[in-house]
Amino acid sequence: MATVQTHQGRITGGVEAAHDRLAPVDGREPTAAAWPSYDPGPFYDELVGPTGKPREASEALWRHFSDLGPEGLAERQEAADREMRAVGVTFTVYEGTAGVDRPWPFDIIPRVVPSNEWATIESGLVQRLNALNLFIDDVYHDQRSVKSGIVPTELVAGSPNFRRECMGVDPPGGIWAHICGSDLIRDADGTVYVLEDNLRVPSGVSYLLENRMVAKHVFPEMFRHFSIEPVDPYVGRLANLLASVSPSTGDPTIVVLTPGIYNAAYFEHAFLAQQLGVELVEGSDLVVLDDDCVYARTIEGLQQVDVIYRRIDDLYLDPEVFLPDSMLGVPGLIRAWQSGRVAVVNAPGAGIADDKKVYSYVPDIIRFFLDEEPILATVPTLRCSDEDSRHYVLGNLERLVVKPANESGGYGVLVGPSATPDQLAHAAKQIESQPTKWVAQPVIPLSTAPTLCDGEVGPRHVDLRPFTLLGPEGAYVTRGGLTRVARQAGCLVVNSSQGGGSKDTWVVNLDRRGPEGDASPRARGAPTLSEEDPDDDPR
Amino acid sequence: MLLARMAEAVYWAGRYLERAECTARFVQVHTDAHVDMPVGEDVGWEPLLAIVGVDTEFAERHPSPTEAGGPGTASKLGGADGAGTARGAGGATKLGAAEEDVVEFILHSKDNPSSILAAIAVARENLRTARPVVPREAWEACNNLWLACSDHLDEADSREGRVQWLRRVIAGCQWINGILLGTMSRDHAMSFLSIGQNLERADLTTRVLDVRSESLHPSGGDDPYEVVHWMAVLRSLAAYQPFRRAMPARLQGGSTLRFLLQDDRFPRAVSACLAETRSHLKGLARAEAALDACTNASMVVASAAVPRLTLGGLTEFLDEVQAALADVHDRIDETYFRPTFVGWQPDSVAS
Repeated sequence: MATVQTHQGRITGGVEAAHDRLAPVDGREPTAAAWPSYDPGPFYDELVGPTGKPREASEALWRHFSDLGPEGLAERQEAADREMRAVGVTFTVYEGTAGVDRPWPFDIIPRVVPSNEWATIESGLVQRLNALNLFIDDVYHDQRSVKSGIVPTELVAGSPNFRRECMGVDPPGGIWAHICGSDLIRDADGTVYVLEDNLRVPSGVSYLLENRMVAKHVFPEMFRHFSIEPVDPYVGRLANLLASVSPSTGDPTIVVLTPGIYNAAYFEHAFLAQQLGVELVEGSDLVVLDDDCVYARTIEGLQQVDVIYRRIDDLYLDPEVFLPDSMLGVPGLIRAWQSGRVAVVNAPGAGIADDKKVYSYVPDIIRFFLDEEPILATVPTLRCSDEDSRHYVLGNLERLVVKPANESGGYGVLVGPSATPDQLAHAAKQIESQPTKWVAQPVIPLSTAPTLCDGEVGPRHVDLRPFTLLGPEGAYVTRGGLTRVARQAGCLVVNSSQGGGSKDTWVVNLDRRGPEGDASPRARGAPTLSEEDPDDDPR
Repeated sequence: MLLARMAEAVYWAGRYLERAECTARFVQVHTDAHVDMPVGEDVGWEPLLAIVGVDTEFAERHPSPTEAGGPGTASKLGGADGAGTARGAGGATKLGAAEEDVVEFILHSKDNPSSILAAIAVARENLRTARPVVPREAWEACNNLWLACSDHLDEADSREGRVQWLRRVIAGCQWINGILLGTMSRDHAMSFLSIGQNLERADLTTRVLDVRSESLHPSGGDDPYEVVHWMAVLRSLAAYQPFRRAMPARLQGGSTLRFLLQDDRFPRAVSACLAETRSHLKGLARAEAALDACTNASMVVASAAVPRLTLGGLTEFLDEVQAALADVHDRIDETYFRPTFVGWQPDSVAS
């Protein structure tokens, strides 16, 4: 989970100059009581409207925070930090070669999203994941999308994420990318964009669930007042999804495959295995025999495994097929998967739909496969392989974000406005020599949310990672997501490894306030929170 | 389904939790007993090092210029010199290791990989690996114990603070045990955890008897401090009250030994630990070799003529028991943690 967002201004199609948007907004009223000096500046703020008053969905929260006061908030922040530490929610940062466990940074002020807005995001994410899966399946079968010119041949053939071994394979339901962790951002006028479709081994869902647990302990009263959509059903849905792709008819044996305790996301792997009630295996715990079945080494001998939720990248999965010296994988795993004896989630090769160049074709992919208009916006992306685009990019480098097409995790990203002349010159050279490897996007001014920093509440830039599940039995999107927040004022890097924090995300149903909520038409006796069972049975 | 690797992790979590708790109790009781003894009558702090098995390591870090014996002397404290000098060990207090050094070493010294803090850290790491198979609350309790102990290291170094610190360790371990007892399914993971705990418990009980009785048994019956010493032995195994209720007879070496070795109902008595281990092994597949080893250990313990051991041969006998216990561990290890099935490639298993 490493997106570096470093967008500072906004340029749409290269026409609009960044400083137009950075100018102060006139006519602003004094901000509401909670933090009189709170001023999000020219950015869209998730909680505070352009007049300086809280948005409708945040009113109750804002009032409550006024009552709590700075000291009350600080106390609750301390309680939250203590709980995160006690529960052992950590993430690993690398200092030199050594991984060090750090307590997970959590800002108690939630981000609030009204449920009607969420409904749009939800349908947009499902639409996108459906289309991407049809695309992946097409790539590994008939390649209609290539033949009809929707995507160029080299997009598929030239991609380092294309896996020859996947040609002709039919995973259950034709679904390759079952789990997607999308990165969403919002620009100054409030438009939500999908910035990345993470289809390989997206992480962060454990932190989303843990954040909610701590938030409930920190603000129990808010959960009584508000109708906040639960996030707990995710685990049950994931369990159903994993079971539904099992090749065997009986009770499936499901495992989570981790690179091991030293992996940065090990906490999440262990968390998910525990929540799912399945074994957490390392490559060395599994073996593929001559019958092309995968077995786990248990105390009772070898036991067949039906479904592998893998948290290891494609290239490390099987040393017989990919990197021969990978110690993390299982020799023969791809053979077992090809023969249909084991399901692998996400399927090998799904990453073909997860690179920056494919990203720029997603609107066309949606139109081609679904015959629908995209519901969510895609950030305009210029492909440097295209001559006109390249010319424009080279002439406007200092106003653009330039990204390598096939990397993830923010590697190699150049942010024009904050780059040095040397960096710009270097980037220009790289683009000229290998134009197909680069794409460019306008700088998007990320939205902000009030955040506690050193006892003060100030606006900090945020993004949002919801998780979408897609199986043969249907789709599910988390109600909310992991909001990541930069902790330095003005900073646009939200990665936890770069000192970024996180927030709980409340999808609030304004028509269904809790039993103690004010202004509720059906206040007394109404069901708490939601009519859905938050404890969705895992199986 | 339980992975071999997970079984091993919970087994060691069980062992290390038990080690932390028992060691904390040893230090606590030793501190109390030490305060009770007149100056010159106490046995010093070396026996603690011997029980925990770190006397050599300690001597390397804290060379004693006045003690010619050098490393290893501590474990032989008093015993080797025969009856007359049993309490001559008191002399070792002046020459021997300082209380602060020994306690710091056993509680949390970075130089001691077997310290209480290190044991908690190892248990925590193993529970972290085994998170999917243990209750979430148990991992959290262990994490909390580790955090609390590391956060309060300064406390551990004074006699007053030490009591609190050790109490926290014992209470924390009991807390984890309570969660496991109350919320963990009686599945295979629970069996391996319990087996680890029971084997460690049995082993530590024999170590306490070994070290303590070396300095005690030769003294016969008229030693005014003998009762105090045996009381300390019982207390350091949380066995004083159970002993009194089970054996109201005069407290002495023979009856104490019999209780701690052969009682079937006191959970820290060696035979009770072995019975518990056996009952868990019976629920596992392919347990023949481990069960045989366990039965053998039980036979060794049960067949001992305990009162006679107080007159001699106790050390040899306890060595035999420890070897039998080690054999149970070895059989479990080779059967479950490092098995050789079809397709198993031991060389692909990174240790």
